Amino acid sequence: MNALGQLTAVVAISFAAAGGTYFIKGPPKRTYICDPATLKPDEICLEQIPADAKILWVDARQRSQWEKSGLPGSVLWNLDPAEDMQAFEAEIVPKILENPRVIVYCGDENCGLSHEVAKRIRALDLGAQVSVLRGGWQALVDAGRIKGSSPAS
Amino acid sequence: MKQALAIWFALAALIHAATLDFKEMSKEINAPADVLTVTADFEFTNNSDKPITITKSDPGCSCVSVQVSEGKLRYGPGESGTLRAKFDMTNFSGTVDKMILLFLNDDPADKPSQILKLKVNIPVLVGVEPKTVKWDLGAKAEPKTIQIKIIEGQTIHVTAIKSSSDAFTCVLKTVADGRHYELVVTPRDMNAPGIGVFRIETDCKVQKHKVQQAFGVVRKPSAAETAAKP
Repeated sequence: MNALGQLTAVVAISFAAAGGTYFIKGPPKRTYICDPATLKPDEICLEQIPADAKILWVDARQRSQWEKSGLPGSVLWNLDPAEDMQAFEAEIVPKILENPRVIVYCGDENCGLSHEVAKRIRALDLGAQVSVLRGGWQALVDAGRIKGSSPAS
Repeated sequence: MKQALAIWFALAALIHAATLDFKEMSKEINAPADVLTVTADFEFTNNSDKPITITKSDPGCSCVSVQVSEGKLRYGPGESGTLRAKFDMTNFSGTVDKMILLFLNDDPADKPSQILKLKVNIPVLVGVEPKTVKWDLGAKAEPKTIQIKIIEGQTIHVTAIKSSSDAFTCVLKTVADGRHYELVVTPRDMNAPGIGVFRIETDCKVQKHKVQQAFGVVRKPSAAETAAKP
């Protein structure tokens, strides 16, 4: 068998194995896995938050996304040009006084907005402990914390 | 068999190696105070020997829009283009760092081939420090001061202070007219929690800097703060 034939055989076997795995096990589960060793100083993994912890959740996604699939009890604070930052500040101050443990989440790990929003909440100088959820909203979905989602196995 | 595997690995390596050559991967812009948007152009060339398709660009914020050379997304070997990032600064001030994730060819959804960085320095025309003055419940009602400072080279006057609550008295002092003010805040009742929102109105010509906001709170100290006290 020449090189081309052998290459064709390798490709065919690879595709057959991949196809068989997909057929038997289904599509890959893309559950977000948070590694605490890779966290930035102000980040936290969902698994590190005790289930009964009293948290003020802040959704840094767009208003329409928050209205559709925000974490129950969360407040909105994004940096959309159409939004009023001072209204966000005024709304969150009394909530932080009631509950100074704040966690901000964005769409996914790629979204840097949650860090920017966390910085602004810290700048309010209310003594709040502010963290950013690594993995963002996707991590909450994978954990079954968003309405309509179920924990990924 | 060795030859086949070598070809296979060489092909795989080529697939992963193809990226666009950008003249600059990061840009820094000093934005004027009176503009609402800034634009950064990232010029690139496909110096690989195979076509590259930009499948997605993700600026991670609705405040940044990205356009690639009038919609052209596939670049043959030797072809050049420009990625234009337009940043809406309406709700930003100070130093802002933005990243633009660039997904090429068959990049997985969480691993972009390239990341462009945009740093924008936006002047803070009116600085308010601290944003919040705080008192513990039952403590002495001592006045506390919020500093209002105007950026160097500008003259901006504080025209009014509007408080949302009668629970605080507010006195505006002029340290240097058009340059530096002090807002002295005193709570009236230290036995009940209270929140005051203070709107600091100015004659600043730039709309987004015209009104600033600060807070006064009388509250029970948090457990962490209580523990931190000697």
